[in-house]
Amino acid sequence: MSDFLENVKQLFEMYLTKAADISGSIGSFVLHFGVIAELYTLLVRWVFPILAVTIFLRCILPLLQDRKRNAAWGYLNITDGTRIPLRHWENSIGRSNFCDIVIKVHFVSRNHAVLTFRHGAWSIAEINSKNGVQVNGVKIEKPETVQYGDIISLGGVEMELVQADKEPMEVAQQNDTARYVSSRGDIKPGTTFLLILLMQILGGLQICFSKGAELNPAVPVTFLFFILTECFHYIIMRWCSRKRFEPELLCYLLCGLSLLIVASAAPDSIFKQFAAILLGLAVYTALDLIIRDLGRAGKLKYLLAASALLLLILNLTIGETRFGAKRWIDLGLISFQPSEFVKIAFVMAGAATLDRLLTTRNMTAFIGFSAACIGALILMRDFGNVLVFFATFIVIAFMRSGDVRTIALTSAGAVLGGIAVVSFMPYIASRFAAWGNVWEYADTSGYQQTRTMIAAASGGLLGVGGGNGYLANIAAAHTDLVFGMLCEEWGLLVALTAVLIVVFFASYAVFLTKDCRSSFYAIVACGAASIFLLQTTLNVLGSVDILPLTGITFPFVSHGGSSMIASWGLLALIKSADERITPGKRTISGEGD
Amino acid sequence: MKLLLKRSAVLLIFSLLLSLGLAVFLMKYFHSASAWVQYPTNKHLYASGKLVSSGTIYDRSGTILLQMIDGTIEFHEDKTVRTAVMHATGDLSGNVETGAQVAFGDRLSGWDLVNGTYRFNDRLSSGSNLTLTLDAHLCAAAYKELNGRKGTVGVYNYKTGEILCMVSSPSFDPENHPDVKANPKKYEGVYLNRLLSAAYTPGSVFKLVTAAAAIDNIDSIDEKLYHCDGKLQIGEDMVNCLAAHGEVTLEEALADSCNVAFARIALELGADTLQKYADLAGFNSSLTINGIKTAMGKAELSDAEGGDLAWAGIGQYTNTANPLNFMAFMGAIANDGVRVTPKILSDRGIISLPATTETRILSSKTAEKLGKMMRNNTISAYGEENFKGLELCAKSGTAEVGGVEKPHAWFAGFLAREDSPLAFVVVIENGGSGSKVAGSVAVNVLQAAVKI
Ligand SMILES: [Zn+2]
Repeated sequence: MSDFLENVKQLFEMYLTKAADISGSIGSFVLHFGVIAELYTLLVRWVFPILAVTIFLRCILPLLQDRKRNAAWGYLNITDGTRIPLRHWENSIGRSNFCDIVIKVHFVSRNHAVLTFRHGAWSIAEINSKNGVQVNGVKIEKPETVQYGDIISLGGVEMELVQADKEPMEVAQQNDTARYVSSRGDIKPGTTFLLILLMQILGGLQICFSKGAELNPAVPVTFLFFILTECFHYIIMRWCSRKRFEPELLCYLLCGLSLLIVASAAPDSIFKQFAAILLGLAVYTALDLIIRDLGRAGKLKYLLAASALLLLILNLTIGETRFGAKRWIDLGLISFQPSEFVKIAFVMAGAATLDRLLTTRNMTAFIGFSAACIGALILMRDFGNVLVFFATFIVIAFMRSGDVRTIALTSAGAVLGGIAVVSFMPYIASRFAAWGNVWEYADTSGYQQTRTMIAAASGGLLGVGGGNGYLANIAAAHTDLVFGMLCEEWGLLVALTAVLIVVFFASYAVFLTKDCRSSFYAIVACGAASIFLLQTTLNVLGSVDILPLTGITFPFVSHGGSSMIASWGLLALIKSADERITPGKRTISGEGD
Repeated sequence: MKLLLKRSAVLLIFSLLLSLGLAVFLMKYFHSASAWVQYPTNKHLYASGKLVSSGTIYDRSGTILLQMIDGTIEFHEDKTVRTAVMHATGDLSGNVETGAQVAFGDRLSGWDLVNGTYRFNDRLSSGSNLTLTLDAHLCAAAYKELNGRKGTVGVYNYKTGEILCMVSSPSFDPENHPDVKANPKKYEGVYLNRLLSAAYTPGSVFKLVTAAAAIDNIDSIDEKLYHCDGKLQIGEDMVNCLAAHGEVTLEEALADSCNVAFARIALELGADTLQKYADLAGFNSSLTINGIKTAMGKAELSDAEGGDLAWAGIGQYTNTANPLNFMAFMGAIANDGVRVTPKILSDRGIISLPATTETRILSSKTAEKLGKMMRNNTISAYGEENFKGLELCAKSGTAEVGGVEKPHAWFAGFLAREDSPLAFVVVIENGGSGSKVAGSVAVNVLQAAVKI
């Protein structure tokens, strides 16, 4: 990783020296034509929010369009003549209304069996039924393969597995195209992408204008590189991926905002932020390819969990304390926050396929792993991440067990534990002290929050123009107070759009659950979305004194390499649940492996 | 996947929480952003605690009351004018809470919700200037009339709500800030705008509230006679008059300010009815003058009975009145029973302000009757020749404040003139006789006011 960094850095420095004299002359030009810069800001501060909102709407509308139902992968013919289509790869069968195939017969248990389609073949697993499952009259002890024409019997109800009318590949194609043929899909992602580029070019120029002669030449160069990277990645996606990529477009938008913030508050490290975006894209691509195969994803899950534990132990032994939390590991050239990467492992560790999910009710391994992660975070005094992990644990645990009582008990215990932790840690307690009445501590413990609110008010709806803010001068504003920086420099509308993008990711994950191939991906997507959601909640609401300030990053927007890379990784997890394909794309076998 | 779809709702709960938190923030933002932005460390507006730039404050005729020249605040060139309007503009250090510099500080600094503190080419937006409804020279005249005595003078147009005169004394020249602490007696409550933020014992002017209640609630009140032999014993309390007024009607009782008659009326009305009319007249509530809240006058009569109720009916119980609020009550009597909420900002700015609120507090008939009685007061008690041409309708008050202190002098009323629909209030602390002391201030101010 550091080799790669070194190479890019050398290349980058070469460009820096070349760009230095060019931007030097630009600087004096700006000074000379100050009025042009003023006019530019006057225009851009109106255009920017309009672009942000337009892009947001153009991205979310196609993703939430109502789709037609999946075509059937196969059928079950019941003896009374009913023909039940099998629309998923994992179909639960039982008396309960929440089963995919509901059979209202007394001898059938609530959740009786799971019929799974994998690697081109069907298999059936009995869950916790009283009367068991028979295939061709033989009671099964473990999951058994089912051939077309076989008779499955559940509590006396007999049904025959019948092949779909078409080959699986055709079904996949039909499923995928049918969803889009009828859609009012006039919103072209290409135009949206161009709008994003326009927004970033306008934003970058605004920073250049406002900094004038003091402009760090790294800023325009980085923006240029960033835009080229986006174009490259976009073209690759267009050629190779069969999925829709509006989520990625939204992340481009957020990354662009992050560069604008870094350019304004910490221009010296803008290159590092850009490198983090590059690494993030790499992690995203790798993860996307690996977990496409359910078998590989299952194996990766254990590997990641093991490395996560290792990282946390390493963090506890050689970690470095900054701003009161021991969340850093310094390797000389680069330093990073292990807890950010552990998030990816944490989400995957909790995922399971539907048959496992319904058979093994206990989640001992996952609970143990969660306890280890959260315990390590408490020892690191990383209170914000404790909350993020815990909330995500609740999401995953509930999706796996559906048991409200256990979750409620666990939460109550955790809240009590949390109170104990807070009372023992003076650092956290002092943050709580100012919470809710920061204006009384405006220049002491409420300093960051009051400055955020002052900045937000100063920006109004449209902002004072990028690079013209004063919040940027406050320590850690570009990580903890990004919401305030966005409000001040780019306006409340842009800042709200950034938050709404994260809210959208959560709804998107829930939306995907409905037609997901496997519960594995559904859980992974919801877990990742939960991390995005919790981080944003703590970051944004913490900085404006609705919640205590915890020093958590805003996914994709906050300055910080580890956070950026982890955010792209989590995006890959959300995307894994999206099975839809853009119209007119070639379809690989429905398997994907 | 049906099962998981149901369970994934937990994620929606979390997003709901974020949205809820965001909504709370937005509510706070729209409510308080104008206050947040004025925090003195905000470098967009302040440099080392001083406002970087400010809009200009004009009076109704375009006279500049306050402007910023080369980074310093300058007031009107005439000392009397700037002293008279000091409470309206505020001083240099922001001591007057209701002064325009504090109350409208967000607008003066060029801030607005859409643009924030952004200013094109460092020039203030055109919306940052303020035009007040005041007349600078009328204020100066009123201030001179007070002649150093503590008190307040208010004049407003009861049809449009525009406040023409708003003077509070003691005041000082904002360009030569005196050492207030060294002279606490002279500068007692100097930062208080007495018209907006004070509440005094009303004394006899409260009889107008009692009279309004009597007109509506006592049968054939016009013919009814009340007996006064100079004093009235109610339990252990004794209500006195200056003279024995004999048999008086309501109109005569008001003109003579007969305490005994009004004590009898108050007892006849009962505490609940009197309380209702006090609330209608604006007691126990504040008015909001372009966002500035006035002090609340108090009249808590529900527990009063016997002597207490009698004293309440003549304004000498625990009741207090805010001068501006009482002036608005005068305006309501003049304006057919409809109270137009006074305002201090002229609508001529780029940002249009919410329309003045109108509230009916008396029936048209009651208002007309009460107005005629107040006109009669002038003719038969205060002397029409003293108020020539004003068509004055008024009521005086001499509010005992207890101890050796002289009573507060009140004079409140309105002009029944179509061309000058003005209501006014004059209060002079420990001034003595209402009709003589406060009345003579009122006449000179009103003579100047009708010429505007
Ligand atoms: Zn009498």
